[in-house]
Amino acid sequence: MCKGHSHSHDHHDHEAATIDVAMEDNFMKANDDLADENRSILQQHGITAFDFMGAIGSGKTTLIGKITERLKDRYGIAILNGDATTVDDFDESALEGAQMLQICTHGACHLDANMVANALHNKIDLHKTDLMFIENVGNLVCPADFPLGSKKRVVVVSVSEGPYTVRKHTQMFIGAEIAVINKMEIADVMGIDVDALIDDIRTVNPNTKVVTTSCRTGKGLDKVLELLLEESAPKVNA
Amino acid sequence: MHELSVASSIANNVMDFARKHNAKKVLEVKLAIGELTSLATEQLTFCYEAVCRETLIEGSNLEIEKIQAEISCSHCSYKGAPKMWAGAFHSIEVPTLQCPECGKGADAVKGKECTIKNIKYVD
Repeated sequence: MCKGHSHSHDHHDHEAATIDVAMEDNFMKANDDLADENRSILQQHGITAFDFMGAIGSGKTTLIGKITERLKDRYGIAILNGDATTVDDFDESALEGAQMLQICTHGACHLDANMVANALHNKIDLHKTDLMFIENVGNLVCPADFPLGSKKRVVVVSVSEGPYTVRKHTQMFIGAEIAVINKMEIADVMGIDVDALIDDIRTVNPNTKVVTTSCRTGKGLDKVLELLLEESAPKVNA
Repeated sequence: MHELSVASSIANNVMDFARKHNAKKVLEVKLAIGELTSLATEQLTFCYEAVCRETLIEGSNLEIEKIQAEISCSHCSYKGAPKMWAGAFHSIEVPTLQCPECGKGADAVKGKECTIKNIKYVD
């Protein structure tokens, strides 16, 4: 870690010298390197992975469930469900055929690349997987700093989070390729100007593709599938 | 929220450094943090002081330098500071990924750092 550039100066007393050492010791690098390894393992197996981030209650679990229902007959799907406390987020009966793994972080505020690496090495049958949906811990701040190795990062916000959720969490949108604005069926009741939310996302990151959804009515889910599968084209199961 | 775990990793690395160099006392650790991370400097300093307590690096001063974001635009070849969003809130300007020249989306090339740049210690 130390680049070895060191020199003494500023003698405070006769015995001790103050030494100043320059270095380049990056704390995010350990996670970034592991994320790159995960990415290459996934690529080798022809797996397209997505990291779903968003606040508690934004609808990440429901959205992943809905898109899995629509895709599980065509693709081998693995779901990694990160959660700070629970171990049984999914209704497994509805998602029969998909591999499901709960990752309990025991209070930690985000998944990191190491937790995903552990799942890739030990828990998931990669040969049976085409698509992987990784659900991050419900949190609109911390996951932004910890890439996992996914192809795209998806941030899910719901209209119930209020009008300022984008501008209060700009880092999250800077790191996301896709933004889903969920629970559209209650936008009017909540008095939310959805166009203003979309404008905020475009201001922060013009690269982010935005889709509005209602997991309850199914509105927008086809568009989500389109965004997830474009450029990705995983192999289809024979 | 993850400042405690980051502060612990920093303190561990500084302790390893201090042992390796037989430091009598670590005076100052300079850290560079990019403005595109979500690390809060005040919390990080507080957590660092807490995890250093009763260790060989107790009392070392964590100096944090903020690194400004830089972007590179593939549409118009602009390189430099991103468009800052002044209207988001009253008090602060928020960095975006928008190119200030053409308004399109750019890539971040600087601003995600969390790096120890310098350690000052007594031999």
